[in-house]
Amino acid sequence: MSYRRKQIVIAYALLLPAIIYFTIFFFGPIAVELWASFYSGQPMVGESSFIGLGNYTRALSDALVHRSLSATMIYSFGSTILTICFALLFAAVLAGPTKANNTVRAILFFPYIVSFVIGGLMWRAILDPFTGILNAALISLNLPTQSWLADPDAAIWVLVFVSSWKDIGYATLIYIAAIQGIPGHLYDAARVDGARPTDQMRDITLPLLMPTTLFLAVTLGISSLQELALPYLMTGGGPANSTRLYSLHVYETAFQDLNLGYSSALSFLMFLFILLVTFLQFRLLHRDIRHV
Amino acid sequence: MTYFRKAGTLALILGTTAGTSTLAETLTVYFNAGHAYHTYLEVIEQFEADNPGWEVALERYQWPDMRTKLVADFAGGTTPDLVAEPGGWVTEFAEQGHLTPLGDFIEQDSDYGFPEDWQDSSVAKNTLDGEIYAVQIHLTCATLLYNVDMLSEAGFDGPPTNWEEFREVAIATTGGGKYGFAPNPSIAYYFPWLYQNGADWYDADAHEMTFGSDAAMEAIQFVGDLIHKDRAAPPPIQGADYEGPQKLFTAGRAAMIITGPWDVRPIKEGNPDLNWAVAPSLTHKEQRTMQGGVSLMIPAEAEHPEMAWELTKRLTAVDVEVATALQYGMTMPRKSWLENEEIANDPILSAFGSCLPYSQGTTTEISRSGAPVSQLETIYLGAIDEVVYGGAQAADVMPAAEDEANQLLSQ
Repeated sequence: MSYRRKQIVIAYALLLPAIIYFTIFFFGPIAVELWASFYSGQPMVGESSFIGLGNYTRALSDALVHRSLSATMIYSFGSTILTICFALLFAAVLAGPTKANNTVRAILFFPYIVSFVIGGLMWRAILDPFTGILNAALISLNLPTQSWLADPDAAIWVLVFVSSWKDIGYATLIYIAAIQGIPGHLYDAARVDGARPTDQMRDITLPLLMPTTLFLAVTLGISSLQELALPYLMTGGGPANSTRLYSLHVYETAFQDLNLGYSSALSFLMFLFILLVTFLQFRLLHRDIRHV
Repeated sequence: MTYFRKAGTLALILGTTAGTSTLAETLTVYFNAGHAYHTYLEVIEQFEADNPGWEVALERYQWPDMRTKLVADFAGGTTPDLVAEPGGWVTEFAEQGHLTPLGDFIEQDSDYGFPEDWQDSSVAKNTLDGEIYAVQIHLTCATLLYNVDMLSEAGFDGPPTNWEEFREVAIATTGGGKYGFAPNPSIAYYFPWLYQNGADWYDADAHEMTFGSDAAMEAIQFVGDLIHKDRAAPPPIQGADYEGPQKLFTAGRAAMIITGPWDVRPIKEGNPDLNWAVAPSLTHKEQRTMQGGVSLMIPAEAEHPEMAWELTKRLTAVDVEVATALQYGMTMPRKSWLENEEIANDPILSAFGSCLPYSQGTTTEISRSGAPVSQLETIYLGAIDEVVYGGAQAADVMPAAEDEANQLLSQ
C-alpha cells in the first residue's frame, strides 16, 4: 500500500465515528422525514397512505402556513438586523481600551449564557401588564401603562427585542475580535490622509467587517428562522396568531394534530427556505477582502 | 487456583444478585407534573408494598411534553403501562388502535363501581363505538369565582346569575386599578359563553364548524364588549399558561374570574385572607359550562395491562378521591364522591361539584371525527383574539374564520 493510500485509509478510519454518528442521528432522520413527507396521516405511527407531493401543494395554499411564515420572516429579519446593528455599535465603543470595558462586555454577554426558557419567563414577568416592573416604572413616571404582549401589532416586535437582547452580547464579542484583527496601519494611513473617525468607520472598519457580518447574518438568521422556545413560552403564538412562528406551527401540526406527514413536508419546506435565505445572504454580503 | 476459585464464587454471587434485581418488574406511568399529589403517591407506595417485586416508575410531564413523548412512544412501540390524559386524547388514540379496550377488566371487577358510579358524561367521552377506553380520575368544570368583599362594597349581596347581572357587577366593581372581570386567553375559557348562549363551535351531525353562527358571535362579542366598550375587563394576559386571571383574583385586583378547581389551591395559598366564593355557572339562554378533567388509559402495547388496571382501580377509589379533593381542592367523577358528607359540607367543592352535571367537554365530539383540532382551535382563537385584543366586531371576523376552518375540515 502506498503512503498516500495509507493516509487516506487512516483519515477515513478516524472519520468513521463521526460519519456513523451523523448518519444515525442527522442524515438518517432527515431521510426518514423526507420519505414521511410524501405520506398522509401518520407514517410509521398509524394509518397513512402515499400521496406524492400532496402535502407540499397543500402547504402552498394553507393560510396558517402563510401567516406563520410571514410572522417568522418579520421575527427573523427584525431580530437579525437589530442584533447586528447594536452589536456593531457596542463593539465600536468597546473594542478600544476604554475604562471598565471588560465589565460592560460581561454584562452584555450575560443574557447569551442564560437559558432561553429562563430569559423568556423573566421577560414575561417584566412585561406583565399588572405586576411587571416595566409598567411599574411607567406608573412612577406618570405615563400610561401598556399591555405589551396583548397588541397583535406590537407583540412580534417585543419578541424581536427579547431575541436581540439575548444575542447582542455574543455578536458584540465576535465584532470586537474582528475589529481588533484589522491592521492598525490602515487607520494610521487614513489619519495621515485626513480621514475623520466616521470616514474610517465607513471606509475601513465596515468593509473589513463584512465577512464577520456575513457569518453573524447567516448564523443568527438560521437560528431565528427555527425559533420555537420564545413564542411558546411568552405568547403561545398569540394574540391573533401574530407571534405564531413557523416552528411552533410545525410542532403543533406534528404533535397536537398528529399529522406527521404534513409536518414533515412543512419542515422540509423550511429547510429549503433556510437554504435559499443563506444563499441570498452569501450573494449579497460576500466580499473578497484583501489586506494591502 | 484458589484465586480463580474465589473469583468464580464472587462472580456467581454477583451474577445471582444481579439476576435477582432484574426480576423486579416496573410499571411505567405517565402523569401530569401538577397532579402528583401525596394521596396518589401513598396509593403507589401501598401498591408496591402489596405487590412485592413491582415498582412504579412515575414519570411526570406537562401535557404538551407528555403528548410529544407519547406519540414518539407509539412510533417506537415502547409505550408506558398507564397514561393520564387531559381530555380529547382517548377517542383520538383509540380510533388509531393505540389503546386497550377496558371491557374485560370492567366485567371482571363488577364491585369496582364502574361505570355506574361515574358521572355519565365522563363515561361517554371515554367511549368509542360502544367500547370504553379510559377511566376518569378527575372531573372538573369552570364556573364563576367572585370576591365577596369587592361585590359587597359595590352594593351586591350575592353573585350574578345571568349575563346582564354579570355585566352590571363587572362595571360596578371596576376602578382604582381593579377590574370587574379578568378573562383568560386560553380557548377553553370562551366555551362557557358559547354554551350559555346555546351555541357550539362544531356540529357533529353536519361535521362542520359553527362558531360563525349568530349565537356564537354574540357570545364572543359579549366578552369583547366587556373589554373595549365597558372597560370592565383587561385584555387577557398572553402566555403559555392560564394563570393570569387567578393571579389578579388572588391579589384582589379582579372581582370575578371563570375558572375550575385547579385554581382553588393557588388562591388559598396565595392569599389566605381573601374573602371569596364559588357561584353556579351563569345562565343566559341556558345554564351550561365547559368540562375538563383527566382520564387514565392503558396503551395497546402496554407490557403490564393487568397491573395498570389494578393501579387504576386504586387511584380512583372513592376514599382516595375524597382525600385528594379535601387536600387539593380537585373535583372528582364518582357520584358517590359528590354524595360524600365531607364533600357536601365543603362549600367550594360542593359548589364546583354542582356544576358537573350541566358541564360538557369542548373537544369530545370533534376529536372523534379525526379533525385537526389544534389547527381548528388556532383559527378560531385567532378570530377571538381579533375581537378581545384588537377590538374587532365578531361579525366582521368570525364568518371568514369559520369558512377557513370548514375548508380545513373538508380536507
